[in-house]
Amino acid sequence: MTAAHKVKITYCAECGYEPQTLDLAKALMLEFGARLSSIELIPWEGGTFEVSVDGQLVHSMARNGGFPDSATIQEAVRTRLSG
Amino acid sequence: MTIDRARFDQGLTYEAYKAQMTRNRERLEENEGRVELGKEDVAAFRSLPRPVRVVVLAEDWCGDVIANLPVLGRLARDSGKLDVRIFLRDQNDDIMQRYLNKGQFKSIPVFVFFDEGFRELGHWIERPASVTEIRAKRRKEIFAAHPEFGSPDAPVDALPEEVRVRLQDELAKMREGTTKFANAEVVRELREIATRVAA
Repeated sequence: MTAAHKVKITYCAECGYEPQTLDLAKALMLEFGARLSSIELIPWEGGTFEVSVDGQLVHSMARNGGFPDSATIQEAVRTRLSG
Repeated sequence: MTIDRARFDQGLTYEAYKAQMTRNRERLEENEGRVELGKEDVAAFRSLPRPVRVVVLAEDWCGDVIANLPVLGRLARDSGKLDVRIFLRDQNDDIMQRYLNKGQFKSIPVFVFFDEGFRELGHWIERPASVTEIRAKRRKEIFAAHPEFGSPDAPVDALPEEVRVRLQDELAKMREGTTKFANAEVVRELREIATRVAA
């Protein structure tokens, strides 16, 4: 059975981070398609922008500063899928 | 970068700024209606010997702008002594670079006070430290009282959805409960700058 791989993007809704969230989600959808079981978008607050792949935090605005390069997130997903 | 009369006049008045808002005008106006100004606070601004010009950096999407700009707006309206012009942060980087938070961050709102000759009198950035402090403390208390919320430093996406919704409610209540204090602190800090101006 194929493992279910999930990506979660938590973004600050009051900050207007929707464009960055949607751009990243789109990049993941286009590259990985049905190989991801879900991409969850979580509206949050407080300047948050966090991305996790199968429960592993791969980007945090608070930790890493700024928005992630989508290529970095795509690479993290590729690594996970091949693992 | 210098602010002179010509540059100042390029800024939006408070009403014009509100008119061009596309996301959070309703929230900003709701906050404006909830600002409570003490008589002494208004009197302190009214008694300024001359009107003070205030350059503001803001953006519609920023929570601190939505919370704190209405306080300045109300002080301007009720005192009649603050001439406010608002500049969009992302279109006015030359001004932003001069008022970086801790010399590093493009935090907003920024309020810069000038006299009639456009000499800077003082500036204010983002929110009072006391507000950051009390909200961080209350946040820790919420997590301590609700073990199901996990660690305050852990990503929220690991929480089950129903727990996440409850956490969001608790944080919203906490913000609501500290708003009066926060507004009073903004007024106190702006009044300190104004008092310095009058001295």
